[in-house]
Amino acid sequence: MARKDEILSSFLKHEMFTSKYELKKSDIPSTVREALASDIPIVKAIALVIEGLESPTPISDPALNTQIRQYLQEKAL
Amino acid sequence: MIVTKISIENYLCYCGIKDFELSDGLNIILGENGEGKTKFFEALDWLFNGNDDGLELLVSAKALEETEVGKSLRVQVSIVVEQYEEKKIITKSFLVKKLKANECSISNYMLEGTEENKSGERVQIDGKNLLDRIFPFQIRKYSMFKGEAELDIFKSDGALTNLINLFSDAKHYDKYSEKGIFLREKAERAVEDSTKNDKKNESLYKKLESDIKIAENDKYKLTVHLDSTDEEIRKLEGKLQAAESHVKNADALETINKRIKNIEDRISDLNGKIDENYTTSLFDENWIAVNFETIHHEFAEKISLFSIEKRKQQSEFDKQKGIKEGERKAKAELLNNSIPLPIGVPSKAHMEEMIKDQLCKVCNRPAKKDSEPYNFMMERLKEYLTSQTHDEEETNDNPLYKNDYTNRLVNLSVSQEDNLKNLRGVRTRIKDLFKFNDARKKDIEQLNTELDGEKAERDKILGNSSIAEEKLVDVLKNYNAWQGDLKQRNHEQLDYNSKMKIVLAELKAKKEEKDTIDLKSANKSLIKTRAILRDIETIFKDTKETKFDEFIEKLQGKSNSFFGKINIESFRGTIVFTKRIKGDKSIVDIKLQEDGRTFYKPNQSLLTSMHISILFAISELASETKEENFPMIFDAPTSSFGENKTAEFLNLIYETENQKILLIKDFLSTEKKTKTLTIKKEFEHVKRNKAFWVKLERPFDPNNLKTINTQVITL
Repeated sequence: MARKDEILSSFLKHEMFTSKYELKKSDIPSTVREALASDIPIVKAIALVIEGLESPTPISDPALNTQIRQYLQEKAL
Repeated sequence: MIVTKISIENYLCYCGIKDFELSDGLNIILGENGEGKTKFFEALDWLFNGNDDGLELLVSAKALEETEVGKSLRVQVSIVVEQYEEKKIITKSFLVKKLKANECSISNYMLEGTEENKSGERVQIDGKNLLDRIFPFQIRKYSMFKGEAELDIFKSDGALTNLINLFSDAKHYDKYSEKGIFLREKAERAVEDSTKNDKKNESLYKKLESDIKIAENDKYKLTVHLDSTDEEIRKLEGKLQAAESHVKNADALETINKRIKNIEDRISDLNGKIDENYTTSLFDENWIAVNFETIHHEFAEKISLFSIEKRKQQSEFDKQKGIKEGERKAKAELLNNSIPLPIGVPSKAHMEEMIKDQLCKVCNRPAKKDSEPYNFMMERLKEYLTSQTHDEEETNDNPLYKNDYTNRLVNLSVSQEDNLKNLRGVRTRIKDLFKFNDARKKDIEQLNTELDGEKAERDKILGNSSIAEEKLVDVLKNYNAWQGDLKQRNHEQLDYNSKMKIVLAELKAKKEEKDTIDLKSANKSLIKTRAILRDIETIFKDTKETKFDEFIEKLQGKSNSFFGKINIESFRGTIVFTKRIKGDKSIVDIKLQEDGRTFYKPNQSLLTSMHISILFAISELASETKEENFPMIFDAPTSSFGENKTAEFLNLIYETENQKILLIKDFLSTEKKTKTLTIKKEFEHVKRNKAFWVKLERPFDPNNLKTINTQVITL
């Protein structure tokens, strides 16, 4: 398993996904690639952060902030 | 990474080139004190960490002596490393030119790197970069240990935490934890800015922001106080336990300390139950008002009369209102319920004109005075005029009493009556409180007597000590003072904790209040974004903590496994790792425990085996997480072990995976007659992959460095 997928799995094990977001096991992706295609905003946002930070040229803070907030705000509208 | 060869040239006691061809397992280097073990370790340390300072002091005196004036010699330490099936060579060297018999000039050192690929091609590269790449500084720091004392690398607060962060998965999650905070803070600010555009709650919002800032500041201050109090408590407990170790009957002391703590807790509990705030009952709760009961009765009667009178007037008012309403309905019926013309049609002027002319100009008929049409017109004019004073009459429809003062007075009278019922009981309650407090005070008195007795008993036990009398006086004096300090610090800790609870509750309430304003005023999409980023921050932070905890658990398991094997037939206890939070950092403490009780002053051998067990456990976990091994180099790590234990220890670490280089002085003996140094037979039973013997070339003059040369014998 690639490191970024391991990191994603560790995050998605958090109890908040089942208790607060009421996600079923089948809703939880196992790879960053799958997570990036997810319709669940928190899942995709986490995948975007991982993709940005684990890339060979890690994303800058302002770019990460813009990317994540832009995505979440669009989803919230 | 495996070190396959170490070469030392003209470095202190190593005159000429001395090679150590190493194995990838356990390498043991035997040597008597002063024959080159430590210099071997220092040569490697110089290669990895040394600088230009005091280079002239590193030159082999014998090599320099043997060099002709005007000629140069080289001082060099190099290692050959195998990593990912490639060979890498790191060499540190400097040149020494002999100017006169006892004078030389020294060049700066050079750190060179060479990489050799699978086909044997060699490339020269920067030595420092290569070294940091193959054997990173952070790992080197935990790979080389000189003597037993250095094994305790966990003395400082952050050492083990750094190590865990370095080798555990937790380090991958550090950046996520930081970015989580960063993204949430940005989202908070965006919401705040959006809320501030709505000027409605501007001042309240500003106040909340300022209150939150103050509460955060208070929280920070309390955290600092709590941290330092925790630290002091730990130190005091350590001092007390160390003092107790002087006492022969430690079990009895522990029992008596438990009894003392129990009595002190009961006293503190009883003190908490005593409430002597009689003044509150007497004054704050208006107990004094019971003496004015007659005034209350007079007041209550008057209010009752007012209430009756008011109800009477109200009833009359309602009756009149009903009559008026009846009249209005009757009039409507007289018109056969037909819909009349609106009031004011015809106009007032027209009506007056028609009445004056006694002629109805609507139906064009005569309307003689007092005739029916004339009276009808008069009635319509009257109706019109009445309608003009309508507003005035409307006001007459208002309730009889605009304000409900009488009712309020009635309520006041009823509540006074209820209050009086309670207040009449205050006298008895205070009396009971006096009785209760007196009984508790007597209990406390009795407990204090018991406490004095227990303390005297403890002094006796402490008196039966293993240390000298004059020292014991100091210990006793300090012991009691430390007990007092500990009690005080524990009290302060409780106090800080309760204050912290209040501050946290206040902070939570203010943040919630601020959130409520945000919900009303800020852009909804920003609110939703913030909510998700708040959750992401929590997820990132918790995951990092989980990884850290998992590593500690693994480390504890592996350390105890090694610890058990090193001390196979001896008493050892359990190594326990405990995590605590200091400020915003996690600190890991290591303790040796037996049935949950901490060992104080364990013997050096036990401590050494504990430290080595932890280091091996870390090394093994590092191999698992980094998927690479690094060598561990120990100089005299087992000085406090006996030879048997050292042999068992070596046999154990032979089984471990990493490359190890151990420098020890065991298994050597000097024959009494010939004074020849030999290796004991017992060493034959020690499992190892490679062994060397470093010994000084004989004969030599112990007072002349120019005669000193260490030989390296591969066993």
